[in-house]
Amino acid sequence: MQQFAVLQLTGCAGCEVSLLNAEEWLEQYELVYMPLVISANSIPDVDILLVSGGVRTDEDLVRLRRAAPKAKKVVAVGTCAISGGVANLGSRDEVHDLFLAEEGRRHLPRLLPECRSIAEVVPIQQTLPGCPPTPELFVRLLFPPKDLHMAKTVCQECDRKKQKTMRPRHLEGLLRGTVLPEICLINQGYLCIGTSTRGGCNAPCTRAGQPCVGCRGPSEAFIHKGPESWLNTIEKVFSKMTDVPSNEIKAALRSPQLSLFLFQLSHDPSTGGHPGQEVEVL
Amino acid sequence: MVTLIFPLSRIEGHAQVVIEVEAGKVVSAHFQATEYRGFQHFVQGVPAEQMPVIVPRICGVCSTAHHIAAVATLEDIYGVVPPPAASKLRELLLLGQLIQNQATSLFLFTMPDCLGLKSIFAHSEDPELEKFRTSFGSHSLMVRKAGTDLINAAGGQSIHPVKAVVGGMTSAMSSEAADAVNRQMEKALPLACGLFESYWKELLDMGNRIGSLGDDGPAYYVSAAGRDRPDFASRTVCVMNPDGTEEGGFSAAEFLSRLTHRETDYSYAGKTSYKGEVMRANSLARINMFDQMGTPIADEYLKRFRSDFGRPAQDLILYDLARGIELVYAIERASQILEEPLYEVETAVPHTVRDGEGYGLVEAPRGPLIHRYRVRKGLIEKAEFVIPTVHNVMAIERALKVAAQRYITPEKVDMELDQAVGRVVRAFDPCIACATH
Repeated sequence: MQQFAVLQLTGCAGCEVSLLNAEEWLEQYELVYMPLVISANSIPDVDILLVSGGVRTDEDLVRLRRAAPKAKKVVAVGTCAISGGVANLGSRDEVHDLFLAEEGRRHLPRLLPECRSIAEVVPIQQTLPGCPPTPELFVRLLFPPKDLHMAKTVCQECDRKKQKTMRPRHLEGLLRGTVLPEICLINQGYLCIGTSTRGGCNAPCTRAGQPCVGCRGPSEAFIHKGPESWLNTIEKVFSKMTDVPSNEIKAALRSPQLSLFLFQLSHDPSTGGHPGQEVEVL
Repeated sequence: MVTLIFPLSRIEGHAQVVIEVEAGKVVSAHFQATEYRGFQHFVQGVPAEQMPVIVPRICGVCSTAHHIAAVATLEDIYGVVPPPAASKLRELLLLGQLIQNQATSLFLFTMPDCLGLKSIFAHSEDPELEKFRTSFGSHSLMVRKAGTDLINAAGGQSIHPVKAVVGGMTSAMSSEAADAVNRQMEKALPLACGLFESYWKELLDMGNRIGSLGDDGPAYYVSAAGRDRPDFASRTVCVMNPDGTEEGGFSAAEFLSRLTHRETDYSYAGKTSYKGEVMRANSLARINMFDQMGTPIADEYLKRFRSDFGRPAQDLILYDLARGIELVYAIERASQILEEPLYEVETAVPHTVRDGEGYGLVEAPRGPLIHRYRVRKGLIEKAEFVIPTVHNVMAIERALKVAAQRYITPEKVDMELDQAVGRVVRAFDPCIACATH
């Protein structure tokens, strides 16, 4: 039986819960380390190591460096591990200064000056983006299907239909509350960026009436391009489908909610955020 | 000074217990949260309407509670009352969370202690135990899945749900979806009862072997889930005195004014006290508070619990039995709601954004959760997250000290303390990602 371990660094445990929601791996994989459900204190040699969360503290750093060499394959799972995500928001300048002021703590891990992604610290072989990745994506990771057919974008997986005649003048969908069924969220005045976001999650948010915030990161067409190219494409979609002024779109795209997920490659856009590494993105 | 550091597992998040010993005497027993991100700092400047998407990321286990608390806070500030259809759907969301959480806490986190295993997934050499474990493990996951699927159906996603918005919910639940989830509840109920019966027996057997878990002394009990029967739409924090009499029911603001919050130099989570005294939140607090559960099978279990253990029940080991009663209740209650018509066109009312300050109160599985935001020019100027686990830190440390004193003498340290420390902490089912946020 193949053995796998799950290392949670600084994160919310959403990726771990999603993995538990998958369950299909129970029969064919042996989970040997995952403190959420197993009282094991160290990681043995394993076939696969899943790492979630960002490298925020010195303890995260040591744990990651000790664990990675034990695995034949290291996979960074979730937005925080891949590009910082929520954990990385603490690196904003005004928050950064607050962190450095947290001194005098006893027996506690120290916060590093910057939150880092997994790939910046150890070599990785694969990433599984999502916040969190759906249970089905975890199953695909652990049991790669022979023919992997995944939609290129969230928009392609969403079951809503675009309307030529509904052209909102402003991004006011949220003020209305109720979301009309079956109709595209862009037509209803929401800033949905599913047109450029990597598919594979089956668009649960847009189906439920919440516009896509890009948690899976850029689609394959954009992943090696800079964030500007991604943003420009979304602006073009909105100018084609709506009458929302372009400066309103520009401002909304740069908002905090989207910055959680949008700037997946902000560390090094030209190499797709993985300096010098060949990384498979699921 | 000798310092003993015990890593913790089978809880959410990163924490450890640190016990200091001087000349064979326990000087201190501290519960340390060892992770930190800083949500109250980095949401400053965020457009208020983005909070329901950002704050669930405080925790992947409790995300539903934060999602609802965020919209409730904004509704308080904007003066919006969601329609009844939305309240029903939000109650379903909270029940789904309760089912998933209590099944996880009982069957994945603490049952291994009762069986002497490192994990419910770990193979055992003893064939009889192995047979029991595999069947118990697979049923546990089925019951847990019922909760996950209910959150999915009512919330759009099972982790970081999306359907709650200011003014209500984005959409209702179709009758097909409601029926499908209800069928799962029907399958899960007998499984949950069977698991709970096994659990009850194993837990009390363990209790007989080890005696008390730690400190079983009285404490204040706090819950925002109602008093005469469970009400997860309640906006009142009920407080019970250590002797079981009623202290009162308070709004979020009044409750906060009675708490003293302290930061420490040894943990990234603070701790709170009620009028300076130890308090307890979470399942045992709720069970002590409810006059009845209001659903048939859960009421039977409550009757049995009360006749065996009294009211208020104070022994730490009973926290987990309280969780089991709630698990059964949540499945029964979800079924009741799913049988009502849930498909309505109007599930949200429109709203106008305005500046101001407000509170959102939700009873999360671990106790009363309060979000408090101040909005200026449409942006979050200040945000505070009052986390239920933080209300339990003093109680945890009081119990840890008792446990430590039992196993540490001037002559030696009995390493049963390693297990004892884990059992104490798990009784409270803390959430560290939430507590530190």
